[in-house]
Amino acid sequence: MPQGDYIELHRKRYGYRPDHFERKRKKEARLVHKRSETAQKALGIKGKMFAKKRYAEKALMKKTLAMHEESSTRRKVDDDVHEGAVPAYLLDRDNTTRAKILNNTIKQKRKEKAGKWEVPLPKVRPVAEDEMFKILRSGKRKTKQWKRMVTKATFVGPGFTRKPPKYERFIRPSGLRFTKAHVTHPELKCTFNLEIIGVKKNPNGQMYTSLGVLTKGTIIEVNVSELGLVTPAGKVVWGKYAQVTNNPENDGCVNAVLLV
Amino acid sequence: MVQYNFKKMTVVPSGKDFIDIILSRTQRQTPTVVHKGYAISRLRQFYMRKVKYTQQNFHEKLSTIIDEFPRLDDIHPFYGDLLHVLYNKDHYKLALGQINTARNLIGKISKDYVKLLKYGDSLYRCKCLKVAALGRMCTVIKRIGPSLAYLEQIRQHMARLPSIDPNTRTVLICGYPNVGKSSFINKITRADVDVQPYAFTTKSLFVGHTDYKYLRYQVIDTPGILDRPFEDRNIIEMCSITALAHLRAAVLFFLDISGSCGYSIAQQAALFHSIKSLFMNKPLIIVCNKTDLQPLEGISEEDKKLVTEMKAEAMKTVIGQGGEATNDEGVLLTMSTLTEEGVIAVKNAACERLLNQRVELKMKSKKINDCLNRFHVAMPKPRDNKERPPCIPQAVLEAKAKQAAEKEKRNTERDLENENGGAGVYSASLKKNYILANDEWKEDVMPEILDGHNIYDFVDPDILHRLEELEREEGHRQAEDSDDDFEMDGLELTPEEQKTLAEIRKKKSLLIQQHRIKKSTAESRPTVPRKFDKDRKFTTKRMGRQLSKLGLDPTKAIDRARSRSVSTRGRKRERSLDRDDTDGGDAMDVDTPNKKQRMLSRSRSRSRSRPPTEVVPGEGFKDSAQKAKALQKANKSNKMRNKNARRGEADRVIPTLKPKHLFSGKRSIGKTQRR
Repeated sequence: MPQGDYIELHRKRYGYRPDHFERKRKKEARLVHKRSETAQKALGIKGKMFAKKRYAEKALMKKTLAMHEESSTRRKVDDDVHEGAVPAYLLDRDNTTRAKILNNTIKQKRKEKAGKWEVPLPKVRPVAEDEMFKILRSGKRKTKQWKRMVTKATFVGPGFTRKPPKYERFIRPSGLRFTKAHVTHPELKCTFNLEIIGVKKNPNGQMYTSLGVLTKGTIIEVNVSELGLVTPAGKVVWGKYAQVTNNPENDGCVNAVLLV
Repeated sequence: MVQYNFKKMTVVPSGKDFIDIILSRTQRQTPTVVHKGYAISRLRQFYMRKVKYTQQNFHEKLSTIIDEFPRLDDIHPFYGDLLHVLYNKDHYKLALGQINTARNLIGKISKDYVKLLKYGDSLYRCKCLKVAALGRMCTVIKRIGPSLAYLEQIRQHMARLPSIDPNTRTVLICGYPNVGKSSFINKITRADVDVQPYAFTTKSLFVGHTDYKYLRYQVIDTPGILDRPFEDRNIIEMCSITALAHLRAAVLFFLDISGSCGYSIAQQAALFHSIKSLFMNKPLIIVCNKTDLQPLEGISEEDKKLVTEMKAEAMKTVIGQGGEATNDEGVLLTMSTLTEEGVIAVKNAACERLLNQRVELKMKSKKINDCLNRFHVAMPKPRDNKERPPCIPQAVLEAKAKQAAEKEKRNTERDLENENGGAGVYSASLKKNYILANDEWKEDVMPEILDGHNIYDFVDPDILHRLEELEREEGHRQAEDSDDDFEMDGLELTPEEQKTLAEIRKKKSLLIQQHRIKKSTAESRPTVPRKFDKDRKFTTKRMGRQLSKLGLDPTKAIDRARSRSVSTRGRKRERSLDRDDTDGGDAMDVDTPNKKQRMLSRSRSRSRSRPPTEVVPGEGFKDSAQKAKALQKANKSNKMRNKNARRGEADRVIPTLKPKHLFSGKRSIGKTQRR
């Protein structure tokens, strides 16, 4: 007991006041009423936040109760057979699912050729041109209107140099350029901050693909060498495709899902 | 000089509170109303301000945390080590480092998002970016939540550390557990340390202050130390080791010679020798405690040898400080905290030696030369052998002697009480201390005065006697009255009176009945204001009837009511009497003048309205005649035009709103409005 702890010292010497525990108990018992009163009286954002907190507490409580209930009650065991489960008499067999093992790169190539991608976001909202571009007026009298500025996030390769302003039709502002993306591996369920290698396809059109515009649904290629993925043949995979899942210009970052 | 006060550090809020504080501040201190229609630059500015403001607040708060927590390398090594022992330096530094990193991260986030906001082209996007920015800042804070909680705990603990000044005069008490260190500090200071008969009662450093030669000394009680390797020592022991190592203090090594603490003298001597290096350059005193159980002379030969060995060690410190080797007083002392024998001697010795050492050190330092030549202490020498005692007048001496004598024999009220039967029996006389011209008056009865009258003047000496008489009389009366019945049964009444009585009673019962009916339907009855009078109850006729029944003349009341009635509203006063004059003429005895005369004599009571034909002069005309003439002329001029239905001044005109000549054609020279 340090020297400054005068409360503790006093308790040690003289004990608690006679009604201490009674008061404590009562206070605790009244607490719920008090909280309910606050919940009923709180207005505006404070009220909303409080309600949300209360709801979360309640949900948690219910969950816990259900969990305790579960352990005591009897119920039927679910008879779902797990995927890949094998009966005992087949356990000693080597099962081959495929006659021919295709390696990953060939599979990817095939898919590319077919032009079909099974992607997490199959459909996206089309982005109109006037939403995508902002018209810049040029000329001495500001009457010429052939310049466009991309208002969405873009990816620009590391070796890019701007053309002279006279020939530059599309401007990609450096403030909206992104070089890294938060990529989630759907099976590992974890996210990595990976470098973008290039834009593979923008669903809104070829032009946007070549401009490197990152909108929701865009397929990008990311550098996965950090992840240490290996092909069946033993080679290290370093480029993989991923699909953008957010609106980078609104969120200030690029989120993507790895296509595996 | 640096003050070590850790009580003033601001509270470190927990992660969640931190976020709430900052966000609610942003909400309160930045504008909140924004509309889609605003210029985009204004929208951007609005949201940028929010992001920047939030970042600033985070930065400010985190900076105060970083600045206010002491840097262990910068503070006095005693505190540095103590904090390290208590909180672990690495953990502490890591936590502060995390706070610093979070501060930088938040700065970076704010910079990035402000940059992105510059390209925001709609309210929605700007808002999204703001939300994302604040969210990321909050996430950073959420992640350093454990560090914040740790720092808050440390802050609370640090605020309760005793305020030890490492540079002042200090007496340090150390020794094995349970040897009487805390008892000693309780004896010489007001520290009020807990003393219990088991080891490690004191778990941290305790501070008390004591006085010696008008100087204040800080006394530090340390937890007991066990004799074991440095690495094995626990936090409690390390506290005392830290204090021993870093404070330049007089050290009192406590020795329990009775062995009742559970450790023999040999063990204690071993501890002494193992921590000997910590006593270097400090005045060291070995204190043999608990002499009430075992005097120093009574211990065995071997123990005595050990004690002398220790004393020899302690003597080295005296020599180290330039003291004389032969002067062994104040090195080994005995005392008993139980009987308080030798306690003050120990304190005095410690303080004296510490003071000497400090003075010596000061004298050795270079700074002293700067001021030494400036002061001179005069030591007067006696010039001859003549005694020169202070001169005190005889009267003063006598007075003093008298005072002393008086002081002794003064009889207090309490003594009196005890002599005269003790509390409850003796009642103190308040009168005996009165200051009066004559002492005999003290016991006199004092007149009681109320409202300026002496109460005694109003006292009737034989009031009791009279009261008795009165009571007797009353008794008689009551006896008489109880005979006759007070009920009125109408036997002694005349027939007329009986009739009246019957009428009164009938009326009474009627009233009661009415009231009951009224009361019974009171709740269901619609409440109608009385003035609407739906039963036509409140008529003047009825009032007249009622009043006359009571024997009152109703005419005046009726008149009054009528004068207030709605039908006569608007009439300000009574009709003048002159109209009545014609028929009755009983009001005045004046002969009627004819109408013309009356008109002359009376002032006009009502203003006449202007006849429609009259023309009011004005508008620049001289008089009404001139104006009338002008009007006539104007009418005449209009007459023909109106007849022909031509356009005139009074007709409504719509001017050409877009005159063609101003809105068409090429403009080579001139401006739109002016050609």
